[in-house]
Amino acid sequence: MSDTKFTRRTFLKVSAGTTAAAAAAPRLLQAMENELGGKDVNPVTLAERKAIPINCHVCNIQDGAIAFVENGRVVKLEGNPEHVSTRGRLCAKGNSGMWYSYDPDRILYPLKRVGARGEGKWKRITWDEALAEVAKKLDAALKEDPNTIMMKYGRNRTGGTLDRFMKTLGSATVVNHTSVCESSKKIGMEPTWGPDIETPDFANTKYVLNIGSNILEAAYFHNPLSQRITEGRVDNQMKIVTFDVRLSNTAGFSDEWIPVFPGTDGAVALALGHVILREDLQDSEFINTWTNVTVDELKAHYKDFTPEWAAKISGVPAATIERIAREFALAKPATLFTYRGPAKHLYGSYNEKACMMLPIMTGNIETRGGYCLPRGMGWPQPGPTPPGAKHASYLSTPPDYPLAGHKVSHLVPFWIAEGKQKINVYFTYQDNAVYTNPGAQAVWGKLFRDEKLLPYIVSMSSHMGEETALADIILPDCPYLERWEPESMPNSLWPWLGIRQPVHASLGESRENRILLRDLVHKLDPDGKRGMKQYWNFKDAEDYMRQHFDNVPGLKEAGGLDFLKKHGVWPIYGKLDPKTGKVTDKTGREIKAEYGLHKKELGTADMAGAVVDKSGVISKNGKAIGIKRNGRNYAGFPTGNRLINVRVDEWAQYGFNPMPTFKRIPWHETMKEDEMILTTFKLNVHKQSRTAAVKWLAEIAHSNPAWINAQTAKRLGVKTGDLVRVESKVGHLVTKAYVTEGIQPKVIAIATAFGHWEYGRLASLRLKDKPAFGGQEDPDLNNVWWDDKGVHPNAIIPVVADPIGGSQGWMDTVVKVTRAGPNDKYGDIQGNWEKHVEAYKETMRYAYTGDMHRKMHPEMASWAGPASVKPKSGGGGH
Amino acid sequence: MSEELRTSPIETRGLAGKKRYAMVVDTRRCIGCMACQVACKAEYDTPLGVNRTWVPYKVVGTYPNVKKHFLPRLCNHCDDPPCVRACPVEATYKVEDGGFVLQRYERCIGCRSCMAACPYNARFMLPAHRTYTAITSVVDKCTFCFHRVTQGLVPACVQTCIGRSRVFGDINDPTSEVSYLVATNATQVLRPEQGTKPHVFYIAGDRSQMEFGRDAYQRREVMDQERRMFERNFKA
Repeated sequence: MSDTKFTRRTFLKVSAGTTAAAAAAPRLLQAMENELGGKDVNPVTLAERKAIPINCHVCNIQDGAIAFVENGRVVKLEGNPEHVSTRGRLCAKGNSGMWYSYDPDRILYPLKRVGARGEGKWKRITWDEALAEVAKKLDAALKEDPNTIMMKYGRNRTGGTLDRFMKTLGSATVVNHTSVCESSKKIGMEPTWGPDIETPDFANTKYVLNIGSNILEAAYFHNPLSQRITEGRVDNQMKIVTFDVRLSNTAGFSDEWIPVFPGTDGAVALALGHVILREDLQDSEFINTWTNVTVDELKAHYKDFTPEWAAKISGVPAATIERIAREFALAKPATLFTYRGPAKHLYGSYNEKACMMLPIMTGNIETRGGYCLPRGMGWPQPGPTPPGAKHASYLSTPPDYPLAGHKVSHLVPFWIAEGKQKINVYFTYQDNAVYTNPGAQAVWGKLFRDEKLLPYIVSMSSHMGEETALADIILPDCPYLERWEPESMPNSLWPWLGIRQPVHASLGESRENRILLRDLVHKLDPDGKRGMKQYWNFKDAEDYMRQHFDNVPGLKEAGGLDFLKKHGVWPIYGKLDPKTGKVTDKTGREIKAEYGLHKKELGTADMAGAVVDKSGVISKNGKAIGIKRNGRNYAGFPTGNRLINVRVDEWAQYGFNPMPTFKRIPWHETMKEDEMILTTFKLNVHKQSRTAAVKWLAEIAHSNPAWINAQTAKRLGVKTGDLVRVESKVGHLVTKAYVTEGIQPKVIAIATAFGHWEYGRLASLRLKDKPAFGGQEDPDLNNVWWDDKGVHPNAIIPVVADPIGGSQGWMDTVVKVTRAGPNDKYGDIQGNWEKHVEAYKETMRYAYTGDMHRKMHPEMASWAGPASVKPKSGGGGH
Repeated sequence: MSEELRTSPIETRGLAGKKRYAMVVDTRRCIGCMACQVACKAEYDTPLGVNRTWVPYKVVGTYPNVKKHFLPRLCNHCDDPPCVRACPVEATYKVEDGGFVLQRYERCIGCRSCMAACPYNARFMLPAHRTYTAITSVVDKCTFCFHRVTQGLVPACVQTCIGRSRVFGDINDPTSEVSYLVATNATQVLRPEQGTKPHVFYIAGDRSQMEFGRDAYQRREVMDQERRMFERNFKA
């Protein structure tokens, strides 16, 4: 590469004309391709920008990134070329992450509410005043019962800090957001093979069945997996088939888009399995060796799931199901991917399980080009660790949902309103349930305005989101570019550890979360007499990271935290080849992943003192560590019996079908001719609630007209841009129509991330106001040219809870769609609390304790009923 | 390449000892993620309302046989650029070694002749407000990331391209990836009938987005609404 240093003078000479350019430009001729990244220069001054490796955290894919800093400000973000999953590339969201830090409407000092809740009147206070006030409230709550202190987080990548805080206080009332996200996918998978997600080897596969995932726009793991999908398609000639109700970018990219009726993916998956088993295309050796059922049992079980049966329910022709089944079973290797499509329904866990059976029965598990286990890495917690709560919390382990290991957070407002658990202090962190949850302002807004139910709300937030706007006190947190956080995510076939480090000092008076929580604990226990301070024993956030990372085997030898500060990620598997965009080893060949994790053989040390039972399970100290098959001792799968559990016996204890099955949503069966299903989705440039204030993303997508099929629109008499009224059993809204060929005719789809009424001036389009909380104005906001912010649909979406996985049924809402009437205005939204409560009571009837449970499971007639199962507090916090 | 008809003295395609940068856009690999458009915005502090690169899409077919096509767009860095000929003050020029079509902001008088001359709508007038860059109210365009390329880096849009749909390199070097792709695939360029000799080559570009000249970029109904909003509110 050329060593020529550019100065402004040489640059001007270069641009002074063609002849001059030829004379003064550095020698352009190089035998190699231009580098794919790792450095950046200012286009005007050519000054090199300072590169700081970080870990992206706009969404939760967790790409390795580099922040380029100029004049103390991050001006550019790129993927980290040393990161094995990210390979130097970021998505649109990742590229614009600096606008979390530089948003003029960011909150830069502590605020105390002075008007009524939600009135928008705030007083600037000092950190000392803020911490003293919160500590006083905590003191009082601790005297009554630590569980009256609640923490609800949305995206928690603190690496254990929030849990440490709650355990320090002795409260078990920790509630996440997973039930509105992906919980039933996780619960469909975990009891079956251990982990809560798969890693499809897209780059090396020949066939992809994509059931209800929009991986090329959102979903885990958008960027790294999208890279491998394009590689598979062009470099490996794979075929990709997408089942979806809507022509997402993924469906539009696929070789085939097969529209399905919402919630019936599971039936299609079962019918695909039926054809595979009927035509004897399964991998019998894999099934008999690695699962807890036999091929004969499976064939008998799948007998009734015929393509004709599924065709009637899903609208997918039987011949198509038969063809896809044969293609999938005969293509080797083949893989499968799912996301919200199957999972976000009343019986989402069953749907996910039915899908997962396809790679299992064809033996595409842990093979090159197949359906692989996730590869992750962990790190130790600094000692000592707090002991935790003495009593369980109803809200975090609801007794009616014992199998929902990722909680049922969207039912929490109803449980609080019913007095199931008293709350004195409510902490919110990177969450915005008032916007993101079913019911939104009609449910969570009502809860948050009720000072009897939630007497004191503390928001740890950098932005005035819909929820933070209803808080009593705001502790200004830092956006991700100003935080220290440990990171690891199984977003490719290579495990890694990464770090977020601050690119510059926290802006204004903001404090990163682990520091503000430490300060709060120190306020509560200034001299350590209460025994709390000992768990918050770190000098600063960097010291906390040192305690995480300096003793990880392998990383320790490489330099521990110092290595991560320099590279952002460990290990570094190779160099990014600018010619191919792939990671290569020392010999210049692409690095190879390790496959067949379940076939790893146990060594003599592992086997010392181990016992092997009749079925081959190898146990040591009461814990299954492997499985004996064909005379060999294998590690097997990370489940209780080291096998893939096609039959999940724990489900049967609660009266659920332990085998792959499908339950039609009862209220979909009785739909009237003029009724439709409302579904929601994410666009490629937004996440659920925290990107509306990012100007470059808002410019690309700022409103969310409702997708309606052209034939349906004709029947309704609406054109693109016309107003439509969408009415559900809990409320109605008025929005614009977008008429398209790319949607199932019985579906109306509305994107989330739009229609904010808070989240700053850009998201809510109140740009005539001035920045209110210490932020610096961005002159570019004068150029905002759009005046439509969209309409947020959640207030008209009732709660539905999967009785197994606890997931919200986002795609289960029956609506009536009509042309808007004379009194309907664009943006009208009305959700009714009483009707939402009725919906909550209705969905509880499907819990294993409810009266609908038995009706939905005639095949489980021999189940002895809920009283037969010992009450057990629900699963833990995965 | 060298046997092509040379119509302009500033053409550098096939010129011995000279680089000729080109981009190949493999639409089979484009997932329409918009990362390129945003990376470009960040690289140049490009204001809202204008773009150096953009990604239009088109939904084609009738339910249930429907496809979605993306066609990433940018300046074609033509070998015979009409904008250069149209500029009355030589603010727009071509760099012989590399083939970049660039803009001298200090010479630009904002007459918009180049914008009218460009058959690809690749040029735009900068509005008066920007976040931190002082250059405003002159015509701007894609530079093929001249400042990065001359430092041995690929353009920002190529750098971040998730699907590796955009590939950049020297088409005068037969061993480069772009030469390989152009040699081994059927490629298309936009508006060849204009004789501009564009240097952005598309693999598997969809007819509904490429043919009929300017009409190819006709926008869908929602985009019409967007355009009306833009015309109502944007003050450049």
